[in-house]
Amino acid sequence: MSEQTTKYEIMAIIDNSLDEKAAEKQAQDSLVKRIKALKGEVTFEDFWGARGFAYIIKKQTWGYYVVLQFTLSPAALQELKKELNIDKHIVRFLVTKVDKKAPVPRKYADVKKEWEALEKERKIAEIDQKPKRKISTASKPSVEKNDEEVKSSEKKSTKKVATPKKDDLDKKLDKILEDSSIDL
Amino acid sequence: MPPRPKKYICPFARSGITYIDYKDPKLLSQYITYYRSIQSRFHTGVSLKMQKQLASAIKKARIMGLLPTVRYDKPDKA
Repeated sequence: MSEQTTKYEIMAIIDNSLDEKAAEKQAQDSLVKRIKALKGEVTFEDFWGARGFAYIIKKQTWGYYVVLQFTLSPAALQELKKELNIDKHIVRFLVTKVDKKAPVPRKYADVKKEWEALEKERKIAEIDQKPKRKISTASKPSVEKNDEEVKSSEKKSTKKVATPKKDDLDKKLDKILEDSSIDL
Repeated sequence: MPPRPKKYICPFARSGITYIDYKDPKLLSQYITYYRSIQSRFHTGVSLKMQKQLASAIKKARIMGLLPTVRYDKPDKA
């Protein structure tokens, strides 16, 4: 092989008039088969699926995204670009050289799962942080009462009979004390 | 001696990122402004090396409709 080949990556958008399965077939027909016909090798395939655009492209608001990595000779790439520009089902495409620093390509579905997992963790962490502060002041002392502490709290409850608000507190305390005595 | 000014570290260096991919709109969207223009290095503290990568990645993402080029307010639906 005298011709030098280079690694390229292509991202293409497929027309949204097709079904998801039909779009996947169309990607095979219009991209993979053409690359193979031009004596290229497809090293990575990823069908993202339906996705909305950030702005309107060719009077459409969404399309199917496809990402491929392949090796081709530069002359053959020009032919591929010409053919893709004529293709009816391809809304837009972008060919880039694969950077040497770029990590091994990963499937979009896997990356998406990771994002969702991270977001869940973040949300759980946010929810946990807020009530913990309230619980720490209210529930902890009632739970961690030993016999000696119970006696001390009983003394306190006898002292706090003066105001009506404290009466309610005492009733609650008594209930807790009764429960705890049963447990012990 | 007055205290030394705080040394700024590139946020990408801090998280160990050496290559910015245009296919990651979630990361890129952190570095665009309210009006969807590229955030300047002055505000984000990104190193010059990574800012060049970042800018090209954002531009590629814009071409493919992953990121908006301008802010667009949706009209109210009656």
